[in-house]
Amino acid sequence: MAKLWAIVKREFLERVRTKWFIIVTIFGPVFFGAMIIIPAVMAKRSKSSSEFINTRILDATTTGFGQRIADAMKRGQSPGAVVPQVSVIKPSELSQAESTATRQVMAKQLSGYVIADQRTLVGEEVRYAGRNATSIADMERLRAAVKDALLSQRLEGAGIESGKVRDLTFLPLRLSTERITDKGRGGSGAVSIIFAGAIAFLLYMSIIIYGQNVLRGVLEEKTSRVAEVVVSSVPSETLLAGKVLGVGAVGLLQQVIWVVTTVVMLKLRQPILEKFGVTSIPFSLPEISPGLGLLLLLFFILGFIFYASLYAAVGASVNTEQEAQQAVQPLLILLVATAVFINPILFNPTSRLASVMSWLPFSAPIIMPLRLSLGSVPWYELAGSLIGLLLACFGAVWIAARIYRVGLLMYGKRPTLREMGRWLSYSR
Amino acid sequence: MFDYTIQIDNVVKRYAAHVAVRDLTLRVPRGAVYGLLGPNGAGKTTTIRMILNIIAPDEGTISILGRPANDPAITDRIGYLPEERGLYRKMQVRRVLRFLAELKGMKGNVADRKITEWLERFDLKTADKDWGLSKIDELSRGMQQKVQFIGTLLHDPDLVILDEPFSGLDPINAQALKDTIVELKQRGKTIIFSTHLMDNAERLCDSVCIIAQGTKVLDGTIREIKHSHGTRNLALGLGEAPSMDLMAVLRDRALVDRVDDHNLYFDIELAKGADPQALLHRIVATGSTINRFEIVQPSLHQIFLEKVGASGIERGMTGHG
Repeated sequence: MAKLWAIVKREFLERVRTKWFIIVTIFGPVFFGAMIIIPAVMAKRSKSSSEFINTRILDATTTGFGQRIADAMKRGQSPGAVVPQVSVIKPSELSQAESTATRQVMAKQLSGYVIADQRTLVGEEVRYAGRNATSIADMERLRAAVKDALLSQRLEGAGIESGKVRDLTFLPLRLSTERITDKGRGGSGAVSIIFAGAIAFLLYMSIIIYGQNVLRGVLEEKTSRVAEVVVSSVPSETLLAGKVLGVGAVGLLQQVIWVVTTVVMLKLRQPILEKFGVTSIPFSLPEISPGLGLLLLLFFILGFIFYASLYAAVGASVNTEQEAQQAVQPLLILLVATAVFINPILFNPTSRLASVMSWLPFSAPIIMPLRLSLGSVPWYELAGSLIGLLLACFGAVWIAARIYRVGLLMYGKRPTLREMGRWLSYSR
Repeated sequence: MFDYTIQIDNVVKRYAAHVAVRDLTLRVPRGAVYGLLGPNGAGKTTTIRMILNIIAPDEGTISILGRPANDPAITDRIGYLPEERGLYRKMQVRRVLRFLAELKGMKGNVADRKITEWLERFDLKTADKDWGLSKIDELSRGMQQKVQFIGTLLHDPDLVILDEPFSGLDPINAQALKDTIVELKQRGKTIIFSTHLMDNAERLCDSVCIIAQGTKVLDGTIREIKHSHGTRNLALGLGEAPSMDLMAVLRDRALVDRVDDHNLYFDIELAKGADPQALLHRIVATGSTINRFEIVQPSLHQIFLEKVGASGIERGMTGHG
């Protein structure tokens, strides 16, 4: 036991001490933070863009419709802000006015100009040309403003008083969503999907990164022949177990740091965004019950043991990094095949595909946590998935321990699958 | 109390394609320096791995220090230096050594004190430089080998197993290793090492075992072995290049069994029942200038050649060209 601990300690400390680990672990949260803050700040820019309002409306309708558009655009803007200018133009002079306006935009006196004509009045088309023509938010607001203007004009035409029209058409409607699961209402749907996707992705990434890490560690011990000294002091099974546990603990530590800092960052999102002058929509984090947390942890541990022991077996059976890259393909295919289905299952977590992939031991450690974080899963599926994974773990460790024991001291030619099959029957 | 540090009885180890060790029986006396000699592929490393319980024999028994080899408590009393050496390259020297010590059941703080002693002893820690705080790959090859010795001996093992310890050593480290082996023997430790350098084995070992193709060819103390092979070996030294007549005499199968020709010097092994005096008469009759004619004890190298055959030895590795 003391010797196992010595190995776990070495594997853990030597990895945690590396610059790579420290940089990635610290940089991760900074990256997540940037992901949370920057889009919101960017969204703010495009939302209350002053460019949107610094516009000339070329009104060729001869009905004063341009002023209506300007009024609609001003709505919701703070008083004293830039006001759209309206030029009433005879239809025959339109092209000349357009080229004047174009020059003004080029000289940065204007952001752009709107052309309203007969086709606008019938609700067919309104044209815009300007620097911010690619801003989806600006264009959407312009379209809405013109639509409002048209609507109010038509309502007035139908005999409704203009003051009333303004009240009737002012509809700053926002769609806010909430999700209902078997357990009741549970946060916003989008947040829940992002959360589940993040969990699945995090598990997938850590299994790949730290699985590779186990492989490289085994290969290093084999090629440097340290393995020979170590297995003369402890059984190879102890070395294997120590390695998987030590590296797994590093992965777990990193994830805990990431998850905790991300949660803290999300909680602080509001105050941080306010510093940037952005009022954001408050959103609630999905609640992780202790039970769910424990299950996620359990799936990570079992999944990691399953893959890491197989990675270790691959590392022991090859002699060079190049051979390792080839030999590891089957494992990577299993993992990537699972990752491919994360997206479809995210949007359809009760499908047959989802349920099949949570029964298969190689995909269960990623798909089942995903489904668990999306909502409730039938108990028999959860139990079956866990038992299957547990059995697969025993199988993988049994096979890996044997391949590892023989392969670690076998140098030279890379073994064929048949030879490796024979290793399984070697006593010691 | 046990008389033999290692007792191997009728051990067999088979692999899919070949038998690595067949029916091996040997005894390593307590406190001996014991040489395991044999050509490459003879089964030396397999035997050592079985002693270390890295692999288990298919048949037969091995007992170490009076206990079965698979007794987990035994491994803490063995120090092992593998043939191909290497350590964790990116790890600090002290941490590597502490790790190796912990694998042998030592407590961290006890190990730390010992590590300092050993580093000082091997000049890896001096007043102006402490290599113990460097990473392994910052050390020269020779220093890395020293670190590896320390790792082998740190836990003060009763049995030290060195697989080809002299291969790849620079002369200074080879000397340091030889001194260490002698000192360990004086402290009552048992040392077993494999080699194909017969000169080294002859000078250092009390006893040897020669194995070839997985089978024991010969074992015993150096003295016994030499004695039992001692009566038929002659040394012949000439004053000038050998004449055709002389060569004809040396090729006479009735007199000479084998000859190792060094141009002006010959190691001669007499045919069974041949009389050295008769050979001397024949050589004198050729008119050659004889500087030396002496009945000698054979070198271990000669015995090895006789028993295993020249094909079994790698030329250039034995120091006999």
